[in-house]
Amino acid sequence: MIEVNQISKQVETSEGSLRILDNINLSVQNGETLAIVGASGSGKSTLLGILAGLDLPSSGSVSINGEDITAMDEEGRAAVRAGHVGFVFQSFHLLPGLTALENVALPLELQGVADALRTAEHYLERVGLAARVGHYPRQLSGGEQQRVALARAFACRPTILFADEPTGNLDTGTGGKINDLLFALNEEEGTTLVLVTHEKTLAARCSRTLELQGGRQLDAANTNTAGRGA
Amino acid sequence: MLALKMLWRSWRGGQLGLIFAALVLAVAVVTSVALLAERVERALVSESSVFLAADLVIRSSKPANPEWLQRAAEEGVRTARTVSFASMTYQGDEMHLASVKAVESGYPLRGTLKRSQIPFATEAADIESVSYGPAPGELWVDSRLLPLLSIELGDAIELGDGSFKVSQILIEEPDSGSSFSSMLGARILMNWQDLDQAGVIQPGSRVTYRLLLADGEGFASYVDWLKQQLSIHERVITPDEAQASIASTMDRGRRFLLLAGSIGVVLAGIALALASHHFASGQILQVALLKSWGTSASRVRSLYLQQIILLGTIGSLIGLFVGWSFHQLLISVVREWLPIALPTAGPRPWITGMATGMLCLAGFTLPALWHLPAQSPLAVLRRDTPIKAFNAIVRGFLGVLAVALLLVWYSNNVILALAILLGFALTAASSIGVGLLLLRLGKTYGHWMGSIWRLALSNLWRRKKPSLIQMVGFSGAIALLMIMVVVRTSLIDEWRWQLADDSPNHFIVNVAAYELDGVKQLIDDRKLETAGWYSMVRGRITQLKDLPPEDVVAEGHESLRREINLSWTRDLPEGNSIVDGQWWDDSVPSNSDSQNSDSQSSNLAPVSLEVDIAAELGLKLGDKIRFSVGGLEFDAVITSTRSLNWDNMTPNFYFLFPEGYLEEYPRTHMTSLYVPAEEKLLVNDLLRHYPTLQVVELDKIIDRIRTIVSQVTRGLEMMTLLILGCGILVMFAAVSLSMEERLKESAILRTLGSSRRLILGVQWVEFSTLGLMAGLLAALGAEFAVAMLQRFMFQQEFVWHPWLWLVGPLVGGLLVGILGVAYSRKAVTQPPLQVLNSL
Repeated sequence: MIEVNQISKQVETSEGSLRILDNINLSVQNGETLAIVGASGSGKSTLLGILAGLDLPSSGSVSINGEDITAMDEEGRAAVRAGHVGFVFQSFHLLPGLTALENVALPLELQGVADALRTAEHYLERVGLAARVGHYPRQLSGGEQQRVALARAFACRPTILFADEPTGNLDTGTGGKINDLLFALNEEEGTTLVLVTHEKTLAARCSRTLELQGGRQLDAANTNTAGRGA
Repeated sequence: MLALKMLWRSWRGGQLGLIFAALVLAVAVVTSVALLAERVERALVSESSVFLAADLVIRSSKPANPEWLQRAAEEGVRTARTVSFASMTYQGDEMHLASVKAVESGYPLRGTLKRSQIPFATEAADIESVSYGPAPGELWVDSRLLPLLSIELGDAIELGDGSFKVSQILIEEPDSGSSFSSMLGARILMNWQDLDQAGVIQPGSRVTYRLLLADGEGFASYVDWLKQQLSIHERVITPDEAQASIASTMDRGRRFLLLAGSIGVVLAGIALALASHHFASGQILQVALLKSWGTSASRVRSLYLQQIILLGTIGSLIGLFVGWSFHQLLISVVREWLPIALPTAGPRPWITGMATGMLCLAGFTLPALWHLPAQSPLAVLRRDTPIKAFNAIVRGFLGVLAVALLLVWYSNNVILALAILLGFALTAASSIGVGLLLLRLGKTYGHWMGSIWRLALSNLWRRKKPSLIQMVGFSGAIALLMIMVVVRTSLIDEWRWQLADDSPNHFIVNVAAYELDGVKQLIDDRKLETAGWYSMVRGRITQLKDLPPEDVVAEGHESLRREINLSWTRDLPEGNSIVDGQWWDDSVPSNSDSQNSDSQSSNLAPVSLEVDIAAELGLKLGDKIRFSVGGLEFDAVITSTRSLNWDNMTPNFYFLFPEGYLEEYPRTHMTSLYVPAEEKLLVNDLLRHYPTLQVVELDKIIDRIRTIVSQVTRGLEMMTLLILGCGILVMFAAVSLSMEERLKESAILRTLGSSRRLILGVQWVEFSTLGLMAGLLAALGAEFAVAMLQRFMFQQEFVWHPWLWLVGPLVGGLLVGILGVAYSRKAVTQPPLQVLNSL
């Protein structure tokens, strides 16, 4: 579970101090799906980075499974990420020199998983890319690339998956399919999902929504009536 | 092993190609040069021993001290004594002043004598190699002695008081080139034991004794001991000195190889630095991803370190192999002049090659990648997350340190290393300083030009950091290539006389005035041309600084015991250079003027001395020397000292006077000329008609030098090609630096409907402007480095190279422009979306 306690983020710019996040409080239970929504520049991605331990707040604390990651050094946060966290990015972030299979296998290999390639192949099959394992990212369409990224994220069996605008670079049709796949895998793996999006339909599929405006949360995270994974 | 997997994937993805090529090339260049240099060095040492017929020779005008021989026998050092002198030989009415050498039974200690039963034999089947000299009572003689004395093999001739049988024709002796005097008159080789019977050596005879020494367990310690026993009468001749002209050619060749190798290392270093920089920027996403997945910074560092070590090992091993193959190729080119098998190289070249690979990676690739683990994982969310790069100055320092270490270790020559480093540093510093200014000027004045120019020049300014890095790369490469071409050209120019087919190969000396016309006629009859006639008088030194010579030079110097050649000239002879004092100009009064003067001091003739002989006689500018010529004495004052060029086979004189001072004395004449092989009998004709003149035959030595020079030149050409390859690699590395961004921009421009002409035009202007500026800056660096190298390494005069300032910018602009456009053609030949997707 993720506990967020009064976090704020300020950065210094040439025009003075800029507050990106202001006193955010949040709690995400295991298995929950949370959508962070808001206009561009509202601080969504900054909040996601801090929740995932990629960045530090200026004040406040974040705990993952009871461990205060804001009190840890970078090595400590890295260890938490290695143990619990997976990512899906808007621009996929596949390594261009690696095949689909190798892209999925790389984090497994880093973890020292013995049959990394077989596991990677299994997850590529699950995202429907069994026939494209040997293809390089440049040989895949945007939707296929994001499916590889999904396979990579789930192959490591994370307990929390952070997704930053996972369909932001895709057309509506393809984006819809990717969303279906994301929620299906999430359901099967029992992962906690935190995603940033500006798409209302995607946000609606999450069990809760947190709306940001100018770095502030509009109200406590709402529970979506649409229901989880719908 | 994960690091190996990652390395393989990067290689397959094409990200390591340039780094790998630069690494292999650096190791290959260094290994090939080091292998070649070491093997040739070893071969030269043993070859030179052959030229000396020994490992070391002690030359003296006195017989060797018996104690030396006894000590040598105790130490197990082999010895053989020889003595050379000129002596008249007779047969009936015929006579000839021969060059006689008496040898002990051990002679030669190194190499072999070639003899034959057929005069003038040239067929290998007729010639026999033996490692001993004539038996007592026998003589081995030069072919041309037979017609000179009208004798046949087996006849007896008179030599001094004895009569000896001519049993063999002497075709070649290993140490024939070691003494100038041995080339006067036909050679006769006799046994040492016959010296007493011949009775030709009397007290005061002009003879040269040699003590030949070779191997034995105690050789080194014996030589150390012996050197302490020697007086000024004895001179040690080492293998290096045995063949001065060949050694000097080889030495220059070796220095050039070193220079070329060093330039290769620096070029490969630049290529490596640029390629590593490029590689590192391509790794940012991967590192950010690895870190977002929870890989610790230390693990990331360890993964990259392992990859570098793997890359270094594989690249260096392949580099060693490529270097070995290239050195074999070089050897096959120069093999002919190395008649003996090349010794195998020791471990040093291999260690040098391997160390080059590792040091290059440590100096160039590691610093470029060092900061990567510090990359924030946040970059996966925000590409613009700043990365604290390793301080550029520290990086530069590490690179320079690596190159400096390599250069010094490799060349063993601090001057060479300094010249290259300073030349490069000057080029790099001016590339940054002046380059920035030029880019700014370009941007400012680009507004006045067409759209292509305006866009291109403002692009260069906008991308000033990569533009400057590229300019450093381009200018460094162009400067280093120019340094190499300039030095190579000046070396080859210097050797050109040796390569000329008609350079003089015979000297005719001691021609009396009344013989001159006859000798000229004989030469004209064969349609041969001399290099001009020189006059000289023979005299003795009777006083130094107003004192008897023995009071000034404690132990008699060779030039004090015999007659020396004095000559005169108005202009400083070619190849001579003034070390101290001044060469006379037209204001020097002639001898006849001075005789009319009452002043005692004006009777002093100015004399210019060769610098070494002045030092040996303890003389300096202003000192007086009294000469005696045919009983007439005159005084001279030293007005200058000169260094001579002994390589150029033209007459050289230790003592030179202005014109007019020696004309009243009896003089002889000398000349040098080219005698082709088919006109060789001219030598016999001359000696038969004028028995007192002497002919010095240098044809065999010159042929040998010519072969060596032409092969060394071919070797240098091949090396130049290899280094050019390194230069092109640097260009590629530099061009590829900004290519991704350029392609992206071009694809966007293309999407917006820009024409092919505009896109390629912008690239052409950008790259050729960069190349032009780099070429200009390179000329500056090259001129500086060449000046240093010529002054300190090749001992040549400084020469300004105006062509560098023209060719540098021109070639730089063209080459870089063409490479850049070729690289970016993809932007106009492929659909923009395809280009963008591939980036």
